[in-house]
Amino acid sequence: MPSASSPHKTKEIAVCVRALGLTYTTAIDRRPTLKARVKSLGRGSKQTQVIRALDNVDLDVEYGQVLGVIGANGAGKSSMMRVIAGIIPPSQGRIEVFGSVSTLLALGVGFNPSMSGRDNVFLGGLAAGMSRDEIADHFQEITEFSELGEAIDAPMRTYSSGMFSRLAFSVAATVRPDILIVDEALSTGDAKFKEKSLNRIKELRSDDRALILVSHAMATLRDVCNDVAWLHKGKLVQRGAPDATINAYQEFLQLGKSAAIDEDV
Amino acid sequence: MSTPLQVYEPFKAGLPPLVRYWKSLWSRRRFISEYSRSELREQHFDSVFGQLWLVLNPLLLSAVYYLLIIIIGGASDALRYAHLTATLFLFYLVANSLTGGVKSITAGQRLILNTAFPRIMLPISAVVIAVFKFLPTLVIFFIIRSVLGLPYSWQMLWALPILLITIILALGLAITISCINVYFRDIASFLPYLTRTLLYLSPILYEASALKPALRSLQVLNPLFPILESWSQALVHGQAPQGSNLLAALAWAIGVFLIGTYFFLSREREFAVRL
Repeated sequence: MPSASSPHKTKEIAVCVRALGLTYTTAIDRRPTLKARVKSLGRGSKQTQVIRALDNVDLDVEYGQVLGVIGANGAGKSSMMRVIAGIIPPSQGRIEVFGSVSTLLALGVGFNPSMSGRDNVFLGGLAAGMSRDEIADHFQEITEFSELGEAIDAPMRTYSSGMFSRLAFSVAATVRPDILIVDEALSTGDAKFKEKSLNRIKELRSDDRALILVSHAMATLRDVCNDVAWLHKGKLVQRGAPDATINAYQEFLQLGKSAAIDEDV
Repeated sequence: MSTPLQVYEPFKAGLPPLVRYWKSLWSRRRFISEYSRSELREQHFDSVFGQLWLVLNPLLLSAVYYLLIIIIGGASDALRYAHLTATLFLFYLVANSLTGGVKSITAGQRLILNTAFPRIMLPISAVVIAVFKFLPTLVIFFIIRSVLGLPYSWQMLWALPILLITIILALGLAITISCINVYFRDIASFLPYLTRTLLYLSPILYEASALKPALRSLQVLNPLFPILESWSQALVHGQAPQGSNLLAALAWAIGVFLIGTYFFLSREREFAVRL
């Protein structure tokens, strides 16, 4: 993720998603074991299930855009973010990304809970392809923004979930990538930090950056986004002005179905 | 229109583009060193007592096994003890790679679900950690060797290529078992039995030459056999190891490494949905 890429112009394409489909096989058991496999031999019971997460989605994100992604649970929002970030390869279609991506997908920092917050920040950054110096440059800002103080050197298993998400948000928002993906991270943390992070998102809105926010906080999305995409069961239902799309989505939630869905199915 | 920085398309079965994969791995080599450092620090190996334990643990182990040899075998001399420590310490390099590697992917779940990076970094880090734990025991071995008054010779330099072969084998084993553990999470529970069996099948508690010919034919199935026999010949006896042993060890190491890596690389893109 080289962050020193040339500045991007507004209206230039940041992410181009074409006919994206994602089907994957996953284990039914949370912990697939050899024992379970041997026991089910000859009984023909299935060990894996095929999940169709995304179906023929086309989506363009331009620089200068703040795209909100909404949808019920299981709509494929997080899957789509992971595909854009290159974590899961698509099954069909093509994704082109024109810039560096930083992800804050369901709080990725802190993969090793027995290590300190500091170690986890450095390791997460190094795994994402940043250099040690780059992370060191940002580190002061990260600790200040997260307000963790001395806790940054404590093992992350001692962190509360709020501290966890504060650190994760601080990392993603401090690195200043071309494209920032934030997946449901604004909903954790106390009211004060929530406001602080909201302000940070607003600061990060600029003409040469693209933001993608996945959230269930409709008021926030109405506030910060200039574009909203609504996914339902792996399909893009509606894309457009925040108010119109969110109103349609909320109407759908209340009615349980909508004209747009009926046409599709 | 600028060219895209990244293009993601459906992947075909088999290997990812290897040159790009290697570049991406190489650019993250700092992760591997940093990860092993943090891990060792977290296990308190940066403190005096932590390092003492690192040395004390293999020493106690070798003492226990030496006791076992005396009780069972009777024969016990300086050479025997030197052989036991040399081979036991090298064996623990492989065993630690296996125990560290088996959970490397499943423990890195958060990182895998949220960051795009070559997943093979995680088992490689586990082997690097095992090597760092091995190095102080090597120093201990040389102290023991000097105290026992065994003569030094230039042939002992053969230990270097043997160590290299061992590390390649350890990498191959760690990569393979970390991948298997994604699909069968109980492999980690079988692992202690596997390493224990390997320990008894390898020339550690006995010298390779003391084995019955009938049992010796089994050695072709154990990759550690030629490695440990050569290691003992070079480091303990100060003799050049047999060429056939070196070749067999190298073939095992490269074979396991290539097969394991192929298996891992062709599977790693679906780890994110399997975790």
